[in-house]
This record gives sequence, structure tokens and C-alpha cells, in this order.
Amino acid sequence: MSNFRINTDRLLEVDLHNEKVMAISGAMVGYMGTMKFEKSLLGGEGLFGALKRKVTNEGLSLMQTTGNGTVFFAHNAAEITVIPLVNEKLFIESSSLLAYDDSLKTNTTFAGLRGATSGQGLFTTTIEGYGNLAVFSHGNLITLEVDPKYPLFVDPDAFIGYKGNISQEFVFDVNWRNMIGEASGESYQFKFTGQGVVYIQPAER
Amino acid sequence: MTSYNPNTLPKNDNLSRFAFVVDVEEEIFIRKGKMVAFYGQLQFESLGSSVVDILIKEAFNAPAYIQHFIIAKGHGQLILGDNGNDIASYDLDNANMTIKAKHLLGFTKDIVCQESTMIGFLTLMGTGKILASSNGPVHFLDLPCRVDEQAILGWADCPSPSYRYDYAHVNDLLSLVGVMTGITLSGEEKQIDFRGEGTVLIQSSELALGSPTLGHLLSQLPALGRNELNSLSAAVAQQITSQNR
Repeated sequence: MSNFRINTDRLLEVDLHNEKVMAISGAMVGYMGTMKFEKSLLGGEGLFGALKRKVTNEGLSLMQTTGNGTVFFAHNAAEITVIPLVNEKLFIESSSLLAYDDSLKTNTTFAGLRGATSGQGLFTTTIEGYGNLAVFSHGNLITLEVDPKYPLFVDPDAFIGYKGNISQEFVFDVNWRNMIGEASGESYQFKFTGQGVVYIQPAER
Repeated sequence: MTSYNPNTLPKNDNLSRFAFVVDVEEEIFIRKGKMVAFYGQLQFESLGSSVVDILIKEAFNAPAYIQHFIIAKGHGQLILGDNGNDIASYDLDNANMTIKAKHLLGFTKDIVCQESTMIGFLTLMGTGKILASSNGPVHFLDLPCRVDEQAILGWADCPSPSYRYDYAHVNDLLSLVGVMTGITLSGEEKQIDFRGEGTVLIQSSELALGSPTLGHLLSQLPALGRNELNSLSAAVAQQITSQNR
């Protein structure tokens, strides 16, 4: 498992010792040591996985980085957060993923009838296993706990991902329509129940 | 990394530079679309609905901005975010404060909100809390001072400002021609002038609030040549057509 560090909120440092990390194409801003960057055609998901990703529009343009030394990743000065996974499964919007350990397995799953109008699609990306991953957000990522005692409501445009035994439903609220307004045409919110954590950004996409 | 639940969330305080938690117990006015998440039982009412008309009559006296705000009520914790802009809160104690309307994020119900005589600004009076967002952290200036029109966020406890035009360098016909054609303008000729006692708030940028993507794009425009601008304009037109479909 390679070492992921955050430098001043907006730069990700990864130490590699003949290891491999995956990152979105073009995210590298610099490196020390010897590194090789290759376009990852199938994203480590095999031919079928890549095909599914294409069809479900959870597109990820990935590159694999191998070598010895330290590599720096950043994305449009967005805030970056490292989430360590210990044999867990994380559901995440592919548009927020920056980099992840090669030891983690990604996949696409059906996320339910939620994103039809929010532009996030009906599918979401899952990532599971043991290792680090880095996500970027506009404003520092916020981690909110969900418990049977306190369900959580989230603006679909601020949602980034979740982890744990959580069920996600979308709630239609007539008054919600009044609230969003801003030419987005959305009138629903995500409701999270169960036990786990939800990641959001303090901004709307 | 800290994770929060309803018991550990800050109460009426910043969660980070970019997020603010409001402990909702009574009605509060917030800007549309700035809610990112909430715990508890909250309802959101538009200002036009009859249930809250009585409250509006007393607190919200700015008809031009009625579409921009909603009322949150119920019990719970409301997390606000504004596209990665900094959020700050200000406590009013029987005082008044004027804020650029686009930057006002919310205010409690005992505050009266009225349109300022400066167009595009709102004046808030009374006792309670105000939330405002800014591009970068807010700086406080003592009076007298002169500030840039784009950087100003608001002012408190001071007389209304006026515009000051700094054309001291225009002293002959040639420099007048230069000014009229825009060649010799520094871009800082029009300033807002504050006199008397009080505090002025400025943000650390001259960018208007908006999505970070748009701000980024606009800041890159001067670097483009004529041909590049033409192809950008064509691409934008194409994008608009495809979104209208």
C-alpha cells in the first residue's frame, strides 16, 4: 500500500517503491525519481468492466503511474482528501475521484433512479479493498455520520460518496423545488439511512 | 479526518472555511440552493407562500430579492456551502450592516432586511446573525478609506458611501484623449469613498461570486488571441444549443 499525503490541501503526494497507482489522466503536476505514466485502457476492470463503464457513462480516463520516488497530483486547485479503505467498499461519483492504490478494485453499479436529472447518471462507481484513495472537492470534503437515530439529507449536487451499510433513496419535496430554483430543475434530495459515513462538498456542481 | 454527527457538529459556527452549520430552532432566511445537507426535521418555504407571509412583512422588505431567498424552519442542523467561497458570520446587536446582495447567504428572523440606496446592496438592521460569503477571506478596514468596487463586501455602522473618481492625472488635452480612448486608464479610477466612523469589509479578490469554473474561465480570457476567442465563442454557442435540446 503506497503512502498518500496531502500537501497544503490542494496537492497530493504519493510515495512509490516499485508500486503502481491509478490517477485520472493529466493529474500529474510533478515528480521526483523515476516514473512511468501510461494510459490505462481498461482501468484495471478487464474488457467487460471497461465496456460497462463506457455504456453506463461513469467514464474514467485513467493513467497508471509506476516507479520509484514521489509523484505529485492536483486537479484545478480543488481541495484533496485521502480516504483510507480497510477492506471496505466505498460508493463514489467518478467525477470526484483523483487517484487510488492499484490494490483497490473499482466497478460500476446501478445507483438507483436518482441522477436522471442531476446529470450524475443512474450508475455510480464502487471502489473496494485495502488501500488509499484520494478524492477532490470544491471546498474541504465534509464527512457526516449516518445512524439509525439520525438520517441525513443531502443536496444531490453536493454529494460525493458514502461508505458503510447505508441505503440511499431520493425524496421528493414540493418545497424543495422552491429552494433549489437556480435553473437546475431539481426538486429532490438524497436521504441516507443506516449506519456509515457520507462524504459531501460545500458546493454544488 | 474528522467525521461529524448531529452531536459533534459545531453550533452556529464554521465547519471549515467553506461550510457553515446553522442550528435551526426558529425560522431563518437563507439563499436558495446554498444548502448542502441537513440532519433533523427541516422544511423549506419559498417567500411567496402564504404560510410565511406574516414573517416576510416584518423582516424581508426587499421585493427585488424575494426570489433569491427562502425560509428554513423546523428543528435540525443545516449545513450551508457556497461553491467553495469563504463563509463568515457576523453578529448584529441593535446595529446595522450593509452587504452586497449577491454575497448575503442568510440572516435570522429578527433582522429587518431592506434594499440599500446603493444599488445591488442590502441593509440589515436589528439583532441577530448574518451569514455572508466572499471570494477569499474577509478583511476589515477602518474609516476613512477608499475601496475598489469589485472587492467591496459591505460596511457597518457608518454613513452611506459615495463614488469618487480619481482623474487627477488628467491635466491636459493629450491625457484627456488618452482617458477617453481608455488607453491611459489604470482601471482604478472609480473608487468607493467612506468617511466618518465605522468598518468596511472587503474580500481578497475582485472576482464576483460565481461558480469556480466560470471564474477560472474568465480569468483565462485575456490570454487568448482573436482566433481562439472566435472558436471559443463558436464552442459556447454549440454548447448552449445542445443544452437547450
